[in-house]
Amino acid sequence: MNNPSPIIRNGSFLLFGIVFGFLLSRAGATDPALISSLLLFQNLHLLWVIGTAVGVGAVLNLSAKIFHWRNLSNGQLISFPHKPFVRALIPGALLFGTGWGLTGVCPGTAPAMLGEGQWFVGVILMGIVLGTWLVGLAHHKQLKRIAKIDRHPSEIHPR
Amino acid sequence: MTNDLFTGMGNLPLLSADLWPAWVAGGAIGLFAFAQRWLTDQPLGCSAAFGNVCARAGSRLPLFQGDAHSPATDWKIWFLVGIFLGGLFASVSTGTWAAPAHFGAFYDALMPQTTLGRIAWWLFGGVLIGMGARMAGGCTSGHTINGVAMGSPASMVASMLFFAAALGTAHLAQFLLKLSGGAA
Repeated sequence: MNNPSPIIRNGSFLLFGIVFGFLLSRAGATDPALISSLLLFQNLHLLWVIGTAVGVGAVLNLSAKIFHWRNLSNGQLISFPHKPFVRALIPGALLFGTGWGLTGVCPGTAPAMLGEGQWFVGVILMGIVLGTWLVGLAHHKQLKRIAKIDRHPSEIHPR
Repeated sequence: MTNDLFTGMGNLPLLSADLWPAWVAGGAIGLFAFAQRWLTDQPLGCSAAFGNVCARAGSRLPLFQGDAHSPATDWKIWFLVGIFLGGLFASVSTGTWAAPAHFGAFYDALMPQTTLGRIAWWLFGGVLIGMGARMAGGCTSGHTINGVAMGSPASMVASMLFFAAALGTAHLAQFLLKLSGGAA
């Protein structure tokens, strides 16, 4: 956004979140039983939800690209920030899918489920914060390891 | 007969029905995700906010000190607070707020039967979700709803692996439950 005050920016995203949470709930994405029946091919409702969402999004994105639509916040062309390929993407995506399959919950639906009064999701949210922190810890250890390797030549050739 | 535009929707009251037809809900989510980018030029995403939560809770780990989780991006946390309120509103408007959680036959058979066991199960699942999303750089909203719709190759790979692992986990679990004589 074009640097609006933090209150306006945070307030806008609070409103966006309310819309998204409401839609996730109405879509059935906050129902673990419906998630498991998607994963076991018993009821494909959520597949059609995701498929329609991606399809509508793809048509709008293509239109925005072809017709050079501008965003409303600063009048620039709408950007298409692709997420990068990182080495951890493959193991990360597999871990994520496993956790999603074991619980029927994902980071976006979790707060909506808590709002619906599905209290058990509070434990999952704590797990998500802990898991996020563990990645931060592993990243920190990796940085320290790299720093050690970088120091190595000066240890071989001391002045 | 109502004069609604949605053929096949009948008299479904959109605001209070607890489950919308898939194409209505999916279409609305697709429209919403694009509208958010049109209004703010910020792509949809949920999991990065948990890095902001770590930083705001006092973690000094370098991963949470960069631009992606700086205080200027704390709107990500407010977005999750909004999702909480959206779920609350959705549930209150159908009169199902705080109804006993219904996991379905599969999760009921798969999860441990004791409360303590279930808490451990959910915590473990949450850790996998949190680690996986941070390592992959996004979750089902950022990679699948947002990234695949804009044709991002990394997001397509991530989304395929999300589904492959979730499908594999569920089918393996169902196979093991059948072996052990459980109902699923």
